[in-house]
Amino acid sequence: MSTTTISRRDFLRIAGASVGALAVGQLLPVKVAEAARQAGLIDVDGNGYISTMCEMCVWRCGVRAKVENGRVVKLEGNPEHPHSLGNLCARGQSGLMNTYDPDRVLTPLIRVGQRGEGKFRQASWEEALDLVANSMQEIKDKYGPEAVVFSSTHNLSQVQFENLLNAFGSPNYGTQRSLCFNAMIVANQMTYGLEEPNRSYDGLKYLILTGRNLMEAISTSETAALSHAIDRGMKVVYLDPRFTKTAAKATNWLPVRPGSDLAFHLALLNVIVSEELYNRDFVQQYTVGFDQLAAEIRPYTPEWAAPITDIDAETIRRIAREFSDAAPNALAHNGWRTSNFVNSFQTQRAISCLNALVGNWGIHLLPAAAEGAGLGVPPQPPYPRVSAMRMDGVPWKYPLVPFKLGVFQELRNAMLSEDPYQAHGWFISRQNPVQSLPDRGKTLEAMSKLDFIAVVDIFLNDTAWFADVVLPEASYLERYDPLNVVGNKAFIRQPVIQPQGEAKSALWIYKELGKRLGLEDFFQYEDEEDYLRQQLAPLGVTLEDVREKGYAELPEEESDPFTWNTPSGKVELFSDTLDRAGFSAVPAWEEPPRPVDGQFYLLTGKVGQHTQFGTQNNQLLHKYEDEPRLWMNAATARELGLKDNDLVKVKSEIGEVNITLWATEAIRPDCVYLTPGYGHLSKGLTTGYGVGASDSVLHLSFTDPISGSQALSQTFVTVQKA
Amino acid sequence: MANKNQYAMLFDATRCIDCRACMVACSVENNIPMDKTRIWVSGIGVSGQYPNLTRSTMVYHCMHCLEPDCASACPVGAWTKREDGPVVYNSEVCIGCRYCMNACPFGVPKFDWDKGIVEGPLIDKCSMCAHRIDDGLEPACVATCPTDALVFGDREELIAEAHGRIAAHPDRYVNHVYGETENGGTSYLVLSHVPFKDLGLPEGIGDEPLNTLSEQYVGNTIPVALTWATVLGAVTAGVHTYKHKNHKAESLVKETAEAAEEEIQ
Repeated sequence: MSTTTISRRDFLRIAGASVGALAVGQLLPVKVAEAARQAGLIDVDGNGYISTMCEMCVWRCGVRAKVENGRVVKLEGNPEHPHSLGNLCARGQSGLMNTYDPDRVLTPLIRVGQRGEGKFRQASWEEALDLVANSMQEIKDKYGPEAVVFSSTHNLSQVQFENLLNAFGSPNYGTQRSLCFNAMIVANQMTYGLEEPNRSYDGLKYLILTGRNLMEAISTSETAALSHAIDRGMKVVYLDPRFTKTAAKATNWLPVRPGSDLAFHLALLNVIVSEELYNRDFVQQYTVGFDQLAAEIRPYTPEWAAPITDIDAETIRRIAREFSDAAPNALAHNGWRTSNFVNSFQTQRAISCLNALVGNWGIHLLPAAAEGAGLGVPPQPPYPRVSAMRMDGVPWKYPLVPFKLGVFQELRNAMLSEDPYQAHGWFISRQNPVQSLPDRGKTLEAMSKLDFIAVVDIFLNDTAWFADVVLPEASYLERYDPLNVVGNKAFIRQPVIQPQGEAKSALWIYKELGKRLGLEDFFQYEDEEDYLRQQLAPLGVTLEDVREKGYAELPEEESDPFTWNTPSGKVELFSDTLDRAGFSAVPAWEEPPRPVDGQFYLLTGKVGQHTQFGTQNNQLLHKYEDEPRLWMNAATARELGLKDNDLVKVKSEIGEVNITLWATEAIRPDCVYLTPGYGHLSKGLTTGYGVGASDSVLHLSFTDPISGSQALSQTFVTVQKA
Repeated sequence: MANKNQYAMLFDATRCIDCRACMVACSVENNIPMDKTRIWVSGIGVSGQYPNLTRSTMVYHCMHCLEPDCASACPVGAWTKREDGPVVYNSEVCIGCRYCMNACPFGVPKFDWDKGIVEGPLIDKCSMCAHRIDDGLEPACVATCPTDALVFGDREELIAEAHGRIAAHPDRYVNHVYGETENGGTSYLVLSHVPFKDLGLPEGIGDEPLNTLSEQYVGNTIPVALTWATVLGAVTAGVHTYKHKNHKAESLVKETAEAAEEEIQ
């Protein structure tokens, strides 16, 4: 076999063989083996099952990892974990391929070529950490701590990432939340005083799903709950311009016009109020602002909504009646992003109010427990006072966006415009903004202005490809993270194998950087195990017990579900907070823009085989994914003279990509759809590179002034033969 | 005749969400090469015209017939129907004649053309994770299925369960349990909301196993098979020695890394 002419097919086959080949004959490295043996997790031969948690998405299923001779050979869902219930999805099953990916970065890397050339040299941790810390300190000394931007995506070690950010003293924090569900969170806070209530499908008879493609954007236990409920006869109304795998299971698929799901929900509210179908007792006892809501929604009749939504008035009226008939066993699902327009905040508010009107609180919507409640934390001094304003406009431009969410795309825009000031450094951990932020061209330009970029990741993802230093993190099967509370249990993520190469946990990396930045007092834990012991201290259980069992029990907390952390203490149909900030205090119609002739709505979404932008290099998922093609309605394609599998050019105002066409009946004629997470720039991703196209090349930045949400579906494109 | 207490799998197409967790789980559990699979999705997917659409997906693997034609067709006894259900394969005695592929009415056994001649005859198909069953575990695909579209258990009980689902929701299902009688009965049972042919399952396959036919076929060709056995047996013995000498894991890993590097450059 020639290595120079190796085909992709050969490569995959050989790489696959290497996984199996490595699985035999290697001894478990001493440290993990000894610890695991002492904890009774594996036998003398190094074989057994170890309980841990998945990290292939943020649902964090419980995993039982099968270990043979120091290799993890299979992952099973942990039946004791409420998020997996013994099952794992395709991504969860493929997790060991992330760990054993030949593209893993296993030593610290320091850039030697131009940014984006992908030329790095291997370095020691000492050298790499010194370089990162010195560069950050230099920027801090010269321009102030605010000149270093920190960003990281939802993960279990994020609490220590935030610790580093706060100790360093920078207010500039980028999370992915504004690209995902800021609208949902802020709307829930305005209505119920919490980020996201828990949902129960027990006994649920009627569900309206908006922008929550649960059969493809899989959250294992919730997907299972939905499937089981459908199986026992629950009715599902599903709004989506695409006939997704969820649409296929719904009682009613409504191919709603993008951006108009708000009108649909306002019309439901209109029918339920005007026909007096709401739960009078609940409304009187537990809500404020019903009269203002009733007044606002009076004009939003089903007849008004029909031409806006392309759903006929009778269908809307029927659904409103069926929904209230099924109450309180009826639920309008908040979804994650609804239709992803700037009016999505209003959509989320309308959904929250709809639930309140039928009184499903305490039955299908439940208060969520606070994260980390009952666990210990390492001691630390108070954080330095931050005087600089945030670059992303929170709160001076976006008064209602919580600090911990921020407005990531605006942060990037400010890095580019240098308004209100100039950023000089960017410390990024477990995040891929080059792919995830809309308008990739802008992101790359903003990065080119910076003096220093450091990335913590397990791969050379597209962002790491442009970094000056890459710090290799241990994969989730190789490291500890802080405990994760679900219900009344704190679950553990623990190493099931020794970290490969020089990879290290985020807890270790942040502490080592802290030390070098003179912030040692903020990281008062010896190592990862000491961190977890301090977390467990108040519970009186040992780390060894938790390692064996997989979780620690937390004391039951008694709380009254019928109190809400809102200014009025009730469910706020009318929000004084919104009113005072100058926004509509009750859900109200906002007309979304529409594409002009020849343009299409560009939709984004999820597939069951991938998570966001981080799994496309996984060989097992690549093996079973569908080719990422541009969905276009078959009739529309015919009109444009396009055929299935034609290479087409998709153009927005800011960019263009070439991609293969899928002419399908499964999408509205005025929409096209592209699965995100493809079209990677990094040649360090040998499986994912060269596959598909990136939608972030096409997406324009639009920010909702209330929630800071990026309106991802508000980009319009043209399509022609390439 | 079928053993009364044998295992089977029941697949319910109304529950399948085409997430492919089963396929990945199978690939990992059985260490399947990256360009091969023992489970595949069949069926016509999305059908109809916008906006009146349906979707059908089937998780297709070995049907584990009660009287498997692959076993009847095999001149050297490489196939065994285990008493507890799985139809399993023994690569040590296989001579690579591929009669099983022709005999299987469901088109399940696949010949590994990459390895077939060089490394000895290799037919691949689902084993119902017989090794897991021996350890008291469900097959990997079943164990991970998030929506219980696949369930595992006693065949008689699963048939009763399947009929129970049809009775409870007659509007939802085609009134038939595929595999209860097809080809003499199979240990992979299928419930569907669309005609079985839309799931890619052969229809009109008959309740009689094809064994009678295939046995006759094999009877006529035994001299041919024996000749093959002699020739391939010799080749196989040689190749096995070669394989153990040269195909060391380390060299593969190294080549992979080199190949990756060259691709980057």
